[in-house]
Amino acid sequence: MSGRIAGLDDATRGPRELIEFTFAGEKVTAWAGDSIAMALWAGGTTAVRSSSKNGSPRGVLCNMGICYECLVVVDGRTVRSCTTPVRAGMVVEPGGRP
Amino acid sequence: MTETADIVVIGGGIVGCAVTWHLAQLLGPSARIVVCDRGPIAGATSASCMGHLMVTPDNAQEYAFTKKSLALWAELHEKVGGFDYNPTGALYLADTDEDLALIPVLRQQFADHGDRADVLDRHQLAQLEPGLADDIPGALFYPGDGVVLPMLAAGAMLRAARLCNASVAVRPMCAVTGVVRDGSRVVAVDTERGRISTNRVVNSCGVWAPDLAELFGAELCGAARLPIHPRAGNLAITGHHVSPIRTQLLEISYLRFAHGAAKIDPTGNGGDPGGHAVNMQPQTNGGCLIGSTRQFRGFDKTLNRELLHRSLLRARRYAPGIAAAPIVRTWVGLRPYSTDGHPLIGPWPTIDGLWIAAGHEGLGISLAPITGRLLAQQIVGETLDVDVTPYLPGRFVA
Amino acid sequence: MSVDDTILDADVGIVGAGPGGMAAANVLAQAGLSVVVLDEGMRAGGQIYRQLPEGLVNHGKIAEPPSHDGGHALLERFAAAKVTLVSHATVWDAAPGKLWFEHGERSRLLRCRHIVLAPGGYDRCVPFPGWTLPGVVTAGALQVMVRGFGVVPGRRALVAGSGPLLLPTVTALLGAGVEVVAALEASSRWRALRAAPAVLGNALKRREAMWYARQLWKAGVKLRWGWTVFACEGDGRVQRAIIGKVDADGRPRRGTELKLDVDVVGAGFGLVPSVELALRLGCTSRFDAARGGHCVVVDEQQRTSVPGVFAAGEICGIGGAEVAAAEGQLVAEAVIALAKGSTVSAEAQRRAQKERKAADTMLRAFAPLPGLAELARPDTIVCRCEDVTRLGAQQAAQLHGDSLRAIKVGCRAGMGPCQARICGPSLQAMATGDGRRAMDLPVVQVPVKPVRTETMLDAPT
Ligand SMILES: Cc1cc2nc3c(=O)[nH]c(=O)nc-3n(C[C@H](O)[C@H](O)[C@H](O)COP(=O)(O)OP(=O)(O)OC[C@H]3O[C@@H](n4cnc5c(N)ncnc54)[C@H](O)[C@@H]3O)c2cc1C
Ligand SMILES: Cc1cc2nc3c(=O)[nH]c(=O)nc-3n(C[C@H](O)[C@H](O)[C@H](O)COP(=O)(O)OP(=O)(O)OC[C@H]3O[C@@H](n4cnc5c(N)ncnc54)[C@H](O)[C@@H]3O)c2cc1C
Ligand code: FES
Repeated sequence: MSGRIAGLDDATRGPRELIEFTFAGEKVTAWAGDSIAMALWAGGTTAVRSSSKNGSPRGVLCNMGICYECLVVVDGRTVRSCTTPVRAGMVVEPGGRP
Repeated sequence: MTETADIVVIGGGIVGCAVTWHLAQLLGPSARIVVCDRGPIAGATSASCMGHLMVTPDNAQEYAFTKKSLALWAELHEKVGGFDYNPTGALYLADTDEDLALIPVLRQQFADHGDRADVLDRHQLAQLEPGLADDIPGALFYPGDGVVLPMLAAGAMLRAARLCNASVAVRPMCAVTGVVRDGSRVVAVDTERGRISTNRVVNSCGVWAPDLAELFGAELCGAARLPIHPRAGNLAITGHHVSPIRTQLLEISYLRFAHGAAKIDPTGNGGDPGGHAVNMQPQTNGGCLIGSTRQFRGFDKTLNRELLHRSLLRARRYAPGIAAAPIVRTWVGLRPYSTDGHPLIGPWPTIDGLWIAAGHEGLGISLAPITGRLLAQQIVGETLDVDVTPYLPGRFVA
Repeated sequence: MSVDDTILDADVGIVGAGPGGMAAANVLAQAGLSVVVLDEGMRAGGQIYRQLPEGLVNHGKIAEPPSHDGGHALLERFAAAKVTLVSHATVWDAAPGKLWFEHGERSRLLRCRHIVLAPGGYDRCVPFPGWTLPGVVTAGALQVMVRGFGVVPGRRALVAGSGPLLLPTVTALLGAGVEVVAALEASSRWRALRAAPAVLGNALKRREAMWYARQLWKAGVKLRWGWTVFACEGDGRVQRAIIGKVDADGRPRRGTELKLDVDVVGAGFGLVPSVELALRLGCTSRFDAARGGHCVVVDEQQRTSVPGVFAAGEICGIGGAEVAAAEGQLVAEAVIALAKGSTVSAEAQRRAQKERKAADTMLRAFAPLPGLAELARPDTIVCRCEDVTRLGAQQAAQLHGDSLRAIKVGCRAGMGPCQARICGPSLQAMATGDGRRAMDLPVVQVPVKPVRTETMLDAPT
């Protein structure tokens, strides 16, 4: 199971801010500072798009903005989920074949 | 031992591949056909263009030519397949008064050939293409056009050739470097991989056809070069599944300069008026190809950011959704422009065994199948499907 | 944000806030030059010194090797330096003195007298059946997950590939509490011995090696030499991995397979230098298989062939963080020399050369194994952007020609948004049967990375 590494909080700042967004219509909880991909991954969602021709599920490959396997649609824009920070209230849809 | 061939097709772009396809059909399974390209098959202009399959109704000749060619495209798709083929039709858009005046003209031209294009009002336009801006003054829809992916289609043509004649030899990365003649007769060609004895060769080298022609000797066309010049176009392509449109669309002003003879000096730089009509093509992967500009500036393939910028601005004007679409790549392609605006399809009169299929400017994808067919028919001496007289290369021989 | 900062001006524009870019920025700022650093990441650090998001602290939970002390020092100095860092900036076009970048919703331009390119590198991928399943990622991706975001990648992990990056991937996973079911190095132990002189001759690398050995031993993870991942399976995401032995060339030895239950797989077969921006600028490059592929050619002062354009770190050939930091220092001195008429210190040059030499020895032992190309079956996808299978790519090579460009026009492999960064190296190995042969130089066009149409339309000039 994926999740969060416990005990990384900065004691001087208190617990991290939690924010919510939606992916494919479902509510997802994230931490401020997450990329969309990592917020989804920590919550157990590894497939974020379907591939261009055969429609197979795809997700993060490089996690550093090189491979474009993690494309999602945010407010009508196709973006890399691994380099795009989450914002509260963001509406994220899977990328790839509609 | 020297290799021998019944015919060598030099230049494996879309035109050379189409010629090979029809030669294989007409020469039968025992003929020895070789097609060589100095680079990849379909790696030059045919890999850096758009894929609009276009019916041009300017006159009876052109109409018959393009219409027949599109029928051959449909046949290739049906019988061989394996390439993106999308009969979307074409949407001609008008934004200025000058362009609006072209709509009834084009509509009438189609009607004159018993064909039909429909003027769309705003409501109909929005229904056909919900991704378009809602203030486009005029639109004409012609259902007969389509879109192909030329590189894969060239491969399909070679596969089609091999279905008729399994021995067709395809040689990428094999430049033709010389020609051997006996008087005015061709007897062999020299390639990077050795000599091939042959009495017949086809020059389908696109914008490089004049260079190849020079290998045949200076008397080929007096002292002058074959009259084909590169005419550059800038293109941009988006990522997948972001295209705001589903129909191939182009500004109707395109017709003013694209296919007729342009009264300009192709050797002079820059001053090509035909720069700014935008053409947007949906891809089967949901991407959108945006072009294209026209400019004479030799073989320079560096991107003209300013001209591309104008195309992108026009694209955004018609399909505002393109603004958010990621552009994956931009590039420049070189159209083989012949000085009278028509292709060269037929024998070269002063040299026995030399055939030419080149100079299709911005219509080479559309016209490749019919070009291949008419050249093959001339070579084997069959009755021609369409009159080819206006396109015979001999018109350039003094 | 105000509109007038659409255009930034600086003496020096640096692409990349990894060790190379940070080291350069620190020295340049100290010399009084104005410096802007552009980086795609969320925070400074680059790939190796990834920082957790603001508000998170490691507290020693994710163990770090001794070399990271240098990284922390670099990061601290960088944070204190008078340098403007623009994170989230994707540089998509460049000309001498100009760097165009997409910054969130905005299209911006950095004008600078000198350009320093330190864009690093990215993982070399080798396709195998099932590598497109969600949960199968690069080795680098796992490090980013753990050290950059504090995310636990899974419960049971397989790490496979080749080269020195496998070890930090394993320790990152251990730090996140993941069970590392197997750690597989495709090179043979014998071949890896060729790296020994580099390790033994360098005090830090010796300590580093001992540290990793201890970490693995403590966790009971054994590095298996001459093994790799053959395939992954699962329903909608990875659930099993099939591993096996490879021969000296990396060819899979069928019949040696074992099956493992896993829920995450990290595969990394070395790194590829990120040369695209440099090629766009017209810099001369050179193919060097051991250094990861095409590398930007620099002189003894890190100057590229294009005046005003410098390069440091992985872009000049994969070499690791110490090389990047040393070259970053040197590149800064070279820029200062040009700007102020000073001279470059012999010490900086000596250090950069020494680090580079050690890295080259190390990497030769892990040069790409051509036989790994045979892991892909005919129906295995090789180009993930365009869903092209190995068979499709081979057929394209047969008909259209035996080169990357020919394969590309013949089947679209490499035409997608990654622009062949992922599939290029493996397509080359499949087409020519040899990953060591020089690969076609990629033709780099604008944009160097995909950007929105409006970013191009709004680009300041
Ligand atoms: C921007 C742009 C947009 C376009 N849009 C369209 C469109 O929408 N619809 C349409 O129908 N057409 C379009 N075209 C036109 C079309 O692309 C061309 O007319 C067509 O591709 C020309 O094909 P070709 O086979 O003659 O040339 P090429 O594809 O260039 O083939 C010639 C081949 O000859 C080879 N060659 C050269 N010298 C030698 C030698 N010595 N030995 C061996 N081989 C040699 C070359 O390597 C090359 O592969 C467009 C063109 C451009 C540039
Ligand atoms: C995930 C990963 C983990 C690694 N772990 C280790 C390790 O443990 N030990 C080791 O010795 N080596 C490691 N390496 C190797 C590491 O790359 C180098 O040692 C070191 O980071 C190289 O430094 P650099 O400055 O050349 O580039 P990098 O550190 O890679 O930094 C380059 C930066 O440039 C940015 N960038 C690139 N292109 C653009 C662009 N077009 N626009 C804007 N920004 C751009 C990137 O986002 C990145 O932040 C690792 C590499 C990777 C990929
Ligand atoms: S995972 Fe590769 S770009 Fe996001």
